[in-house]
Amino acid sequence: MDSQHLNPSSLKSRFTARFLRALIKINAQKPISSSSPRDIFQRYQRIKVAADKSMAYSVRSRRTWSRATLWKLRSRSRRRLASSGRRSSIKTRTTTTTTTTTTSTNHRAAIVEKTSHEKENKEDHVGLAVQAEELRELVPGGESMDLCNLLDETAHYIKCLTTQVQVMKKIANLYSLE
Amino acid sequence: MDPPLINESSFSAANPSAYSLAEIWPFPINPGSDPTAVTGGGLGLRIGNLGGFGETSGLRDGSMEDSTVTEQSVGCGGGRKRKELSSEDESSKIVSTTTSANELNDSNGKRMKTPVSKNGNTGSKEAEVEASSADGSKPDKNSKPAEPPKQDYIHVRARRGQATDSHSLAERARRERISERMKILQDLVPGCNKVIGKALVLDEIINYIQSLQQQVEFLSMKLEAVNSRINVNPSFEGFHSKDLGLQPIDGAGMIFGSQTAREYAQGLHPEWLQMHVGGNFERAT
Repeated sequence: MDSQHLNPSSLKSRFTARFLRALIKINAQKPISSSSPRDIFQRYQRIKVAADKSMAYSVRSRRTWSRATLWKLRSRSRRRLASSGRRSSIKTRTTTTTTTTTTSTNHRAAIVEKTSHEKENKEDHVGLAVQAEELRELVPGGESMDLCNLLDETAHYIKCLTTQVQVMKKIANLYSLE
Repeated sequence: MDPPLINESSFSAANPSAYSLAEIWPFPINPGSDPTAVTGGGLGLRIGNLGGFGETSGLRDGSMEDSTVTEQSVGCGGGRKRKELSSEDESSKIVSTTTSANELNDSNGKRMKTPVSKNGNTGSKEAEVEASSADGSKPDKNSKPAEPPKQDYIHVRARRGQATDSHSLAERARRERISERMKILQDLVPGCNKVIGKALVLDEIINYIQSLQQQVEFLSMKLEAVNSRINVNPSFEGFHSKDLGLQPIDGAGMIFGSQTAREYAQGLHPEWLQMHVGGNFERAT
């Protein structure tokens, strides 16, 4: 126990270190000049990306989901560099987040159709086609996994997400109490 | 199960000298026929029986016990029996047939889940075996064909049910792996242990992930608001005292327990310092 929670290379402490560094960087880059909704939103997006990125980095490329996340973020930043305006990148990002979180009901109908066509065999045996498809959407990089790997990745992803939430909660608490 | 037993008894009735053997044999068969208790009881009893014959050689026993599959031991036992009894001319044939019948019997027991019509099949097979042994062929000849069936038995045992082809075997292995992982996930997701049914469990997991992702979004929003405020007026001293005071409270609600709380507290201090330095620096510029 003792050796574990003193371990500086544990996932949690790695994530914390990275995330705090990223926060400092964000603050340093963007002095709080404006409180316009757009700027606030941008900062929020940056913090969220920083959280995802530092999580994925602290997992490194050991997991499929972290690799997928890193790849996604990288390609996004590349896109942002390619496109001149920042607005477009924000737009794409918001659309991606909303699709993952909100459209689950629409999604089911679409999935049923899709599964009847393509992915009929494997998960249908277990009777989990719809849920597996939904899970694939949620877990980064899950589109190309079979159910076994998907569940594996999901377990790890959940662990990391809970860690992330804990750390962020704590930081937010400490800041807001101050 | 019944036809072989009847066969044996009828055989032993035909030859009184082997009657005792035929009577002994059904006992090891019965535990062996139970698919769950194949390895333990069957092996022990069989060895015990053979020991009773007074012919057990240490080497053989070792090899038998080493082999994890009971069917192999059955084959070995049969072969050994045959050899043992080949000295007795008269009973050799009968004993060999009884042992082969036992093997079939075992296989029968393993296929208990399969349709009962197979019993008739094994009965006919036994009849064939009996006929071949009754032909006057040597017991050695019988023991040779006993070797390749061992391989078959291993496969049969792996199936242990309706499955006959490699596809369903792989499918079953896959399913086992999936349910294993499901269990792990159930342990991870709070309140998921009470849910029954894979689909519902997955629903629960999906909901949990969504809520976590939303929480991350919400927290980054909160951090955004808070982060900018920190930059406006960072106060260093208040941090550390509150930092320490906060740990136990937050740790209680954590999934990972107090361990993480302490880790967090200890791991974070340099970070906080760094943070303050950074914030300070930024304010200065």
